[in-house]
Amino acid sequence: MVINTREKNDVVIFDIEGEIRRSDITDVTLHQLVKEYLEVGKRNILLNFERVQFIDSFGVGEILASYISTHNLGGKFKIAKISKKLYLIFQVTMLTKVLDIVDNEELALEGFYKE
Amino acid sequence: MVKNRFQKILSVIVEIKPGEEILALLFFFYFFLITAPYSIIKSIRDARYLEDVGSIWLPLAYFLTAILMGFVVAFHSKLLAKIQSGILVIFSLIFFILTCFLFWVLFLERWTWVPVVFYFWANIFVAVLVTQFWILVNDVFNPREVKRLIGFFGSGGILGGVFGGLLTGFLAKFKISEFLLLIALGMLIAGVFVVYAINSRQMKKAPLVSQIKIRGQGKQEETSGLGFKDCFDTVKKDYYLKLLAAVVLITWIVSTLIDWQSKNVIDQRMSGLKNLIAFFGYFNAGVLILPFFLQLLMTSGLIKRYGIRFNLMVYPIILLLGSLGVAIAPILLFAIVIKANDKSLSFSLNQSVRELLYIPISPDVKYKAKIFIDMFINRFAKGVGALFLMIFIPLRLGIQLRIQLVSLVSALFIFGWIFLNLKISREYTNTVKQKLEAKWNRADRLVAEKVDVDYTKLVFDTIESKERSSVLYAMHLFDLIKEDKLTPEVKKLISYKSDELRVSSLGALFEAEEATLVPEVDVSLDEEVLKKEIKEIMSLDVYQEVMEGYFEKAVADRSKEGEVTKMELAKAIGLMEPHSPLIQKLEDLIQDESPEVSRYAMESAAKLRRREYVPALIQKLHSPVAEEDAGAALEKFGPKIVGTLADYLGDKDEEMELRKEVASILARIGTQEAADFLTWELAEDRGDLDTELIDALDGIRSKTPEIQFQEPVIKAKTAKEVKRYCETFIRFYESQKKGEKDKAGRIFEKDLIVFRLNIFKLLGLIYPHEDIFRAYQNIRTGTKDSVAYAVELLDNVLKREIKDVIFPIVEDLSLEERLRRFQSLLEAFPDI
Repeated sequence: MVINTREKNDVVIFDIEGEIRRSDITDVTLHQLVKEYLEVGKRNILLNFERVQFIDSFGVGEILASYISTHNLGGKFKIAKISKKLYLIFQVTMLTKVLDIVDNEELALEGFYKE
Repeated sequence: MVKNRFQKILSVIVEIKPGEEILALLFFFYFFLITAPYSIIKSIRDARYLEDVGSIWLPLAYFLTAILMGFVVAFHSKLLAKIQSGILVIFSLIFFILTCFLFWVLFLERWTWVPVVFYFWANIFVAVLVTQFWILVNDVFNPREVKRLIGFFGSGGILGGVFGGLLTGFLAKFKISEFLLLIALGMLIAGVFVVYAINSRQMKKAPLVSQIKIRGQGKQEETSGLGFKDCFDTVKKDYYLKLLAAVVLITWIVSTLIDWQSKNVIDQRMSGLKNLIAFFGYFNAGVLILPFFLQLLMTSGLIKRYGIRFNLMVYPIILLLGSLGVAIAPILLFAIVIKANDKSLSFSLNQSVRELLYIPISPDVKYKAKIFIDMFINRFAKGVGALFLMIFIPLRLGIQLRIQLVSLVSALFIFGWIFLNLKISREYTNTVKQKLEAKWNRADRLVAEKVDVDYTKLVFDTIESKERSSVLYAMHLFDLIKEDKLTPEVKKLISYKSDELRVSSLGALFEAEEATLVPEVDVSLDEEVLKKEIKEIMSLDVYQEVMEGYFEKAVADRSKEGEVTKMELAKAIGLMEPHSPLIQKLEDLIQDESPEVSRYAMESAAKLRRREYVPALIQKLHSPVAEEDAGAALEKFGPKIVGTLADYLGDKDEEMELRKEVASILARIGTQEAADFLTWELAEDRGDLDTELIDALDGIRSKTPEIQFQEPVIKAKTAKEVKRYCETFIRFYESQKKGEKDKAGRIFEKDLIVFRLNIFKLLGLIYPHEDIFRAYQNIRTGTKDSVAYAVELLDNVLKREIKDVIFPIVEDLSLEERLRRFQSLLEAFPDI
């Protein structure tokens, strides 16, 4: 898994690439990385899953942990471009009711600005 | 008036029903008019043969008779295939009348070959006429009727034998002995009129006429196949018939050996034709007097009381003792005694029981089998017996030693005979069972076999949720995937696009592509991975933490909009692990006022099977809307909540409807423990839940035959249900008598149906369930013959003490007769 970060206005965008799975943990996990940005005062977090081929429960755990950390600090957390399969998983687990999932980056950014 | 008196007189000696008197009496005389002349003919046959040919050549006569009988059977079976039995009997009688007259003329000429030919003719005479008699009996009466009347008919035959024998013995001393054959001839002429009367009565009796007609038609279609070979093949391919043939074979071998012993002794001790005729006349009469009374007074009673197996054993065991007696002390007295016993039992008990063995065979098969077994096998057996005896002809042994040796051979055959009797009595019950087809299957079993209710519900819920919530829809799809039920057909069904079923809320992601969810699901879904992922995600602490707030807010939401969310929550909890913190919310959702939310929550409770949900689920049994789902959920908890359910079942303070529902759930759980609790509750004898408890136990028995039920409790309850049935019937009868065909009468009728069903269900718990079930169905909706076969099955399945109380309920009786039987039953068993 490779995570590249970039910022657009106040929004930190995490471009994730590859597979997010327990067996493929990098030195810094997604949650740790999100926390690092939260610690420096960033409050708008967008995870871009456009290039994610696979995500396991560990990966979902990372997303949820990131969501909690952001939420606890009063921040906003969005997910964009997730696969149809992951969306189905999120539906079954009702995470679509809690997480803010959007089709693409533009819509997500629009959302951040509007809110 | 006269008819009533006549019926009363007859009913003293035989269990005869109104309307049967004349026909039964005609058959009585028909048999009488065959056996009386035969007794005369037989005495002349034996005396002439011994006097003119000698006892040493008896085995040869036996043997040649057997060969000749093969041709006679073949010819007779062809005639039977072409001519209706009643008409064939008349033709046969006329044939024997004419030939009898011919022999009378030939005997006047004193030719030496005449006694030999007469010997064969006499054997053909008895074989043909007796077989035809029983064929006609089986045509006219159904099995239960035959069983009831067989003693009466048989006694007609025995009485004829006694009469013919005494007449022969008496007249043989006088000059008119030459006219004995003409007397026999006269009796046969009378027999023609009796058979004609039977045929005429049958023509008037529409159902039987049609029955005979139908069979007649069948015969015509099969004419080409009703030869001797066809009869032989019929027996060969049927295990039961083969056993029956083997029993008859061995019976007649033994009988031949015994016949040979006695005739050899008689031949040594007596001389002179008149003396011999007189001796055989009296002997034949004497050995039939005992069976006459046995047949008239005891045979039916013995058969009814002790069943077929016991009665099959009486004859061979007595002959075995006799044979061993002769083997030890071969004196004349013993030889005469064993022959007398052979004759007595052969004409009474054994004949009757053997006829009963034909009952479960279908008419067409019986026809062919009877021709082969009764007409050929018994003669063939004589031939086999003769072959054994021929071995002794060249041996230069004294008569005493010969008799001893033959007795030992007889004893060996009798052992084989007893073994075969045991086998055939077992096979008899199986054959009766095959005769009774199940009229319908149990609805619950049928549904369970044919429909996967949970699956059907899931598919419907999936379709229904499409409109309601994408989350619910996805969860249902996941359920289908989990159960490996997302088949191409189901996909097609649930992805059907219509205005109503268009997927509308799967989020922008799917809407943008105007896709239905199913094709998306189709995209490279590794079902195992999906299952694993969802399970793991929902087990994550972080997931439980994220969802907790959402759940709390949603559960507290009382708005209409919140209903769907609560349904989603209820469904989602069912996907979680049983120890997840969020599942604590489920109890609130079970009790939710929305039936839909409650339903989803109950389904999830059934998946998680946690005890704390049980009280909430049981409370839902009070609600007519929710009771079915609550029951289904509780059933899925299985054995672990049987004790809890039993507490509710036995709690008198609980609502009756709830307790009934609990009984039904225990039945569906269906374990030994559940059966025990239900039986204990039944033993409490409170009466309020009896029908439901019996139904529940029956359900368990039907589903799990290996479950054991406490016999004393079931028997006691059966007796009580019988008592209720009898008392209700008496009240019903009285109400009918008073002309009250009102509501009360209908209630009595309804109660009678329920009590009878309860009795059968209880019997099914301690006797073979399938047999009792079939018997009940055939009694409830079957034809007269089906009822008869059903009762026959019960007769062979139930123990005697149970039969005594059950049969008055199930037998085909008039109202008055049933009332009388019930009254005697209640008097005889006041404590039931």
